[in-house]
Amino acid sequence: MRPITGPLPVVSLPEDRPRLRYLAKVRWLLLAVAVALSAIGLATIHSASSELPVDYLPRQAVWVAIGLVAFLVAFAIDYHKLVKFSLAFYLGSLVLLVAVLLFGQEVGGARSWLGFGRWRLQPSELAKVATVLLLARYLAAVNRRVLGLKQVGVASLIAGAPMVLVALSPDLGSAAMFVPMLGGMLLLAGVRWRVLVAGLLIAVVVGFVSWNVVLLDYQKDRVRTFLSPGSDPLGAGYQLRQSKIAVGSGQITGRGYGQGTQSQLRFLPARHTDFVFAVLAEEWGFLGAVATLGLFSAYVLSGARVAARARDRTGILLVVGLLSVFTVHVLYNTAMVVGLVPITGIPLPFLSYGGSFTLANFFATGLILGVDFRRYVNR
Amino acid sequence: MATHVREHRDNLVQRLPLLQLVFVAAVVLIGGSYWFVQVVHGDYYRELAENNRLRNLPIKAPRGLIFDRHHRRLVENTPSYNLLIDRARAADLAASLEFAGGVLERPAAELAELVERPAPSAPFQPVLVAEDLNLAQVARFSAAALEHPEFEIDVRHLRLYRHGPFTAHTLGYLGEVTEAELARPGSPYVAGDLVGRRGIEQRYDLTLRGEDGEQVVTVDSRGRLREQSGRRPARPGQRLDLTLDLELQQEAAVYFDRRVGATVVLDPDSGELLAVVSAPSYNPNLFARRLARDEWRELLDAPHDPLQNRALQNTYPPGSIFKIVVAVAALSEGVARPSDTAFCSGATTIYNRRFRCWRRGGHGRVNLREAIKESCDVYFYQLGQRLGIARIAEYARRFGLGAPTGVDIAGEKAGLVPDPDWSLRVRGERWYSGETISVAIGQGPLLVTPLQVASLMATVVNGGRRVTPRLVRGERNDPGAADLDPAAVAVVREALIAVVAERATGAAAQVDGLTVGGKTGTAQVVRQKTWVDSATLPYEQRDHAWFASFASDGRSRLVVVVFVEHGGKGSAAAAPLAKKLYETYYRPATGRQPA
Repeated sequence: MRPITGPLPVVSLPEDRPRLRYLAKVRWLLLAVAVALSAIGLATIHSASSELPVDYLPRQAVWVAIGLVAFLVAFAIDYHKLVKFSLAFYLGSLVLLVAVLLFGQEVGGARSWLGFGRWRLQPSELAKVATVLLLARYLAAVNRRVLGLKQVGVASLIAGAPMVLVALSPDLGSAAMFVPMLGGMLLLAGVRWRVLVAGLLIAVVVGFVSWNVVLLDYQKDRVRTFLSPGSDPLGAGYQLRQSKIAVGSGQITGRGYGQGTQSQLRFLPARHTDFVFAVLAEEWGFLGAVATLGLFSAYVLSGARVAARARDRTGILLVVGLLSVFTVHVLYNTAMVVGLVPITGIPLPFLSYGGSFTLANFFATGLILGVDFRRYVNR
Repeated sequence: MATHVREHRDNLVQRLPLLQLVFVAAVVLIGGSYWFVQVVHGDYYRELAENNRLRNLPIKAPRGLIFDRHHRRLVENTPSYNLLIDRARAADLAASLEFAGGVLERPAAELAELVERPAPSAPFQPVLVAEDLNLAQVARFSAAALEHPEFEIDVRHLRLYRHGPFTAHTLGYLGEVTEAELARPGSPYVAGDLVGRRGIEQRYDLTLRGEDGEQVVTVDSRGRLREQSGRRPARPGQRLDLTLDLELQQEAAVYFDRRVGATVVLDPDSGELLAVVSAPSYNPNLFARRLARDEWRELLDAPHDPLQNRALQNTYPPGSIFKIVVAVAALSEGVARPSDTAFCSGATTIYNRRFRCWRRGGHGRVNLREAIKESCDVYFYQLGQRLGIARIAEYARRFGLGAPTGVDIAGEKAGLVPDPDWSLRVRGERWYSGETISVAIGQGPLLVTPLQVASLMATVVNGGRRVTPRLVRGERNDPGAADLDPAAVAVVREALIAVVAERATGAAAQVDGLTVGGKTGTAQVVRQKTWVDSATLPYEQRDHAWFASFASDGRSRLVVVVFVEHGGKGSAAAAPLAKKLYETYYRPATGRQPA
């Protein structure tokens, strides 16, 4: 085994630039879906903010524009280069996560943002991408059919360090996203099933300890509320209940754009961020919700296609890591809105309002398509 | 190296379909959940959403105002602000109550006791914290609406009875609807409604209350009004114009300041009641807010039962006033002619029993007119003996005794006109003929209400035509002719004028310029063996004083009945008030100021 800090196997040479004619072969559907979802997001955010002190539409539009630039940057840069510097990114993001714990701004009970004048940055989004890059680099370099315990351990440490820091902020939702990232990448990289099962057991134990020692009361309340929603009609259960009412009252065809009473009359909390999908489901009904889920599925399955035809281990692992995070965001958020899982601050990619998050998703899309673009590179 | 990579690359992709499968399964599961929530249960959530935003706010119909005959307002509606708390909205109930206690200047613990009192019917209904807030307090709660959304200010209109105790028995008051009233089929009430209790408020409740409207409003999550949609306006209650004359009512009430009894002033032509006073009285405005238990107890335990309307809910022996009935009966039945005389030596023996006249020395030889004028008992003993109980009872009923007058106030008593039938049925013993003699002068089991006596006097004034006393101007419902001989009634009426005019028992009621007629009555409470001055007896044993009278200035006529419980002699205790009332009533006609 090579130490992760050692020289990497050369899988792509810097001079091996992809020819531009291969641009046509890139799975642009992914970008199209991302843009379509962003457009839906902008419209829904606009509707949801009609009763908010500011309209979040222009702000989010700016973020989408910046996101498209981020996409281009991520697409243009050879991912091998990014992987090469992943350790630096990773360590840098860890520093930022520590900084946010020390100097961060507190929003909604969690110290997750670093303020720079008017701008705020959510380092956890940065850390996710950096961690995927480093994991891809490490697991690609392992280059074995079956992962040993040691590799699983090292990979877990890589994912665990930022996860713990994010959890301390405390932002459980974002912290939890490191688990599917690690799980998805390990699964592809050849982890043994028994190791995976053992890992799940460890997660249960960690969860038990977390519940009793780590979790703050308001976080516990959220989980408890999920287990018995009637117990707290105006607390977190209120959100759950109002969200379900919003979704259900949309019925098949919805109440019409801007006509959702739950959203327009402020019954629905966090309706431009975490619960934006409830607004969509209320105003566009089951058809709108399913169509949007279909777009998300198209994104994920297209992404999986990109992973399947990627040229090298790094590419595959990178795409799968990014997709895992994306997928769990989508699944958890939509499940949360309809009341399947406890409420956690997990936004919906491209739809929820949020700068860092939108940026990160476009950047990830750029990385994925970059991998696709470079599959024909000759060596 | 390239081949090496390729080999392991394929291995990596091997598990990808599994992940895709898991993803698709999850999407299907989530999509299925949306199907269930939106399509299968969509109606349910749509309704919840509608209830979330739509609230039905009742629009209380303003209760009809009540006026006296001269359009003077007797009752008004004044706004009153109540503080309610919605416990479900209070994040920290203790802090909320601390805040409320500060504003209301009451200890929070006291409020907590009120709020935590279990409300079994509706645990999520807002609970009343305090009543009758002043405007400064209302403003403070409104200003704190953001921090304390759990508090609500409820405006309701309280009944303010302008003349308080003076009109209490007649007007009644409002009380919260009872469970039993709500449960009654076809009940127009909803929980929390105020309904009329006693008097006009009770009798005309449906007229006065109108019909509540409803306002459908859209509210946001903080309960703030966003827009108004459906609206069914309230139909205000109708105003009531009473026949009461506030001035007469007040004058009579003031006269009864320290007395116990009742006064009825009646227009014999129309049956309109110009005053109905019962004393002692109570303050009906006490009932406007929730009565504390001890306040209620105090009212119930007060001496002489102030809640009782003595004008029509208490019955008394009529005493000599009943001689009017016996005289008319005797004349109509031909058992006596006006000129027939009897000798009164102060007592007589009938059925082997000695019956005394009220005047110890007797009246000597008297005819009917003189017997009425002097209220000679012996003369009427003999009439009673000749008439017999059956005919006396018959004529008493023709005058409307023994049955409610039909006045438009609930709870009127029928009184009692005794006869042998009644004796067997109720007392279980046969009629004792000596009782007939007692009844002939208005004693014995005979019982009447002051209102019945007023009605009787109206019949006399009208020459036998009866009227139904009423308090609300409008339709009349008179029983008409009473099957009484107008000539006989006329004779008695002339005799009654003599009672006042000829310095007899009713002289105290004489008003210059008016023709006044009347009959005093002194109803024994305890039978006395000898002639006793009632004034020397203990209060409870003193005689009741009656004065039933009428007056005319040639155009309009008026009946005044004054009853003073344990007041002694009618001539002294009751007649002076009648005089005052006539003076007041006829002041515009006579142009004189009352003495």
